[in-house]
Amino acid sequence: MKKAFFIALKEVRDFLRDKGDLSFSLLLPVIIFALMYGAFGSSSQFNGTAYIVNEDPGGRYSELLIQRLSNYKAITIQQISPSEAERKLNRSDIQMVLVIPSGFSASLEAGQNARLIFQQRGNGGTEGQIIANLIRGEAEGIGQEIQVQSQVKTALATTGIDQSQIETTVQKFMDREESAPIVTVVENTIGDSPDPVNQFLPGIMTMFVLFSVNLTAQALVEERRRGTLERLIASRLNVNELFFGKFLAYTARGFVQTVILLLLAWAAFQLFTPLSFLECLVLALLFAAACSTLGLIIGSLVRTENQATWTAVFFTMLMVMLSGTFVAITKGTTLYTLSRFSINTYANEAFRTIISQGGNLGDVSLEMLIMAGVALAGLVVSRLLFRVSQGGK
Amino acid sequence: MTESFLTAMDLYKSFSENKAVNGVSFSIDKGEIFGLLGPNGAGKTTTIRILSTIIQPDRGEVNIAGYSLKKEADKVRGLIGICPQELTLYAEMSAFDNLVFFGRMAGLSSDKARGQALRNLELMGLADRAKKGRVDKFSGGMKRRVNLAIALMGQPQLLFLDEPTVGIDPQSRNNIYEIIEGLRDQGMTILYTTHYMEEADRLCKRIAIMDGGKIIALDTPHNLKKQSGDPEHITLEEVFLKLTGRSLRD
Repeated sequence: MKKAFFIALKEVRDFLRDKGDLSFSLLLPVIIFALMYGAFGSSSQFNGTAYIVNEDPGGRYSELLIQRLSNYKAITIQQISPSEAERKLNRSDIQMVLVIPSGFSASLEAGQNARLIFQQRGNGGTEGQIIANLIRGEAEGIGQEIQVQSQVKTALATTGIDQSQIETTVQKFMDREESAPIVTVVENTIGDSPDPVNQFLPGIMTMFVLFSVNLTAQALVEERRRGTLERLIASRLNVNELFFGKFLAYTARGFVQTVILLLLAWAAFQLFTPLSFLECLVLALLFAAACSTLGLIIGSLVRTENQATWTAVFFTMLMVMLSGTFVAITKGTTLYTLSRFSINTYANEAFRTIISQGGNLGDVSLEMLIMAGVALAGLVVSRLLFRVSQGGK
Repeated sequence: MTESFLTAMDLYKSFSENKAVNGVSFSIDKGEIFGLLGPNGAGKTTTIRILSTIIQPDRGEVNIAGYSLKKEADKVRGLIGICPQELTLYAEMSAFDNLVFFGRMAGLSSDKARGQALRNLELMGLADRAKKGRVDKFSGGMKRRVNLAIALMGQPQLLFLDEPTVGIDPQSRNNIYEIIEGLRDQGMTILYTTHYMEEADRLCKRIAIMDGGKIIALDTPHNLKKQSGDPEHITLEEVFLKLTGRSLRD
């Protein structure tokens, strides 16, 4: 195994010798972290635009609805023409439009049913769904007001009271109810919003280590391409030593990148205690080892550097998407089931448990076991798949 | 009777439908430079890859210094050095670092690897450039000499030289000839492939001409020429073309 360490040492020296590679791999985690923090770490207050096609201009209830929607500070109202709405929807510039049909107000005034129409792409997007819910709430409110007015007028029709007086009085009661509702909702705030650093740091760390999948695969393919692989094998180096050397080198590289991010997070955000930092190092080492062996599997299967890159990119993207790194995955969904096949999921969960929830290694023993298992199985599988050359050993 | 250092018996190797090596047998004496000639695709490189333990034959036996290639490949690897026709170097490393690395892979200690690396580079006339700069900044001839120097790490008893002079100037080529002759004089056994007939004529004691995965002629350069005419007036290239034909190959 001495030769394996020598191979690992050579890889590390190559890495240190290549200033471009060195600066990219060390600075990039820092830059990406800063960008992510900037992108996701700002205020999470909702702001959206309600796109409205008003085919009932000047109508009492259409104007009332628009006026009530404009009372929401988080909503910007933008009225657009039907053709513009169609064009924007087709180009996916917007995902949802409220259409107030012609005759909307007249129907309501006549005591008839009226419709509001949502035109949307797919489910209307998150913003569209939130705005649609607010519109529904306001439309139901207006509908209830009309119902109350109508029923009171009908009930008092034989009393001889003036209709406009009934209407004014009912409106007064409804305004009073709105200003002092019977049922109130209290927002009890406990602490600040979840710290985005806690939320995103694990995902960024694991995403970065995943790059070692590609690097490890490339290392094997490059060795084959330049012919040094056959030359090494014709020496007294055996394939197991070669594999172990590459594994050590790229595990170390992924580990070092993670340590940089962890140190940065510690220095900037005081996220760790000395113990939790050490626990994260253990997780980082296991995850880097698992990723390196995935790279060895790819490197054993492919023949060209392009194949290695695209195969690694495919698996990397897949694992990031399935891991809930940036989008929460709901338990019980198909995506959740699929996420169990991504090694990132376990790494993310383990890091989150230690960084955000104050857990310890005992709490993430299953995740650690899975990562160690993947590393070990990956080494064995890649070695079984590996051939120096066609017809070779 | 001369002692055979390498004996290959009835070697076969196919890749899909292509019979790259099709019943090849020959032996090389200790201290002999043995030439393996043939047009492109004749099976020379596949034969060398089999003999150097990189690929296994479908059939046949190889014995090197008394060790069976099939059963004692690790011991065989300790005896051989290989200089492939491609420049198999780590471009970003210095010549010295390349040699030390391959020396360590051949099982040398750090001190021995460094000592041998310096001696080999001196032998190749590259001592002054040993640690200066990356090898990818070297000229083609210098890279070829580094490629050969690597093959000598671990002091092999049997050297496989697969077209070691391809693509270099006459001065560098002549320098390599002298180095190879020096190695032979020290008792090293060499299997040599080339497309340059004059260098095979100059260096090789015996020559096997391969075509279509088979050895179609095997003798000394003089005898091969004699079989085709007057050895004083016929060249080895003419013999080669007579035996292998003039049609283009891969």
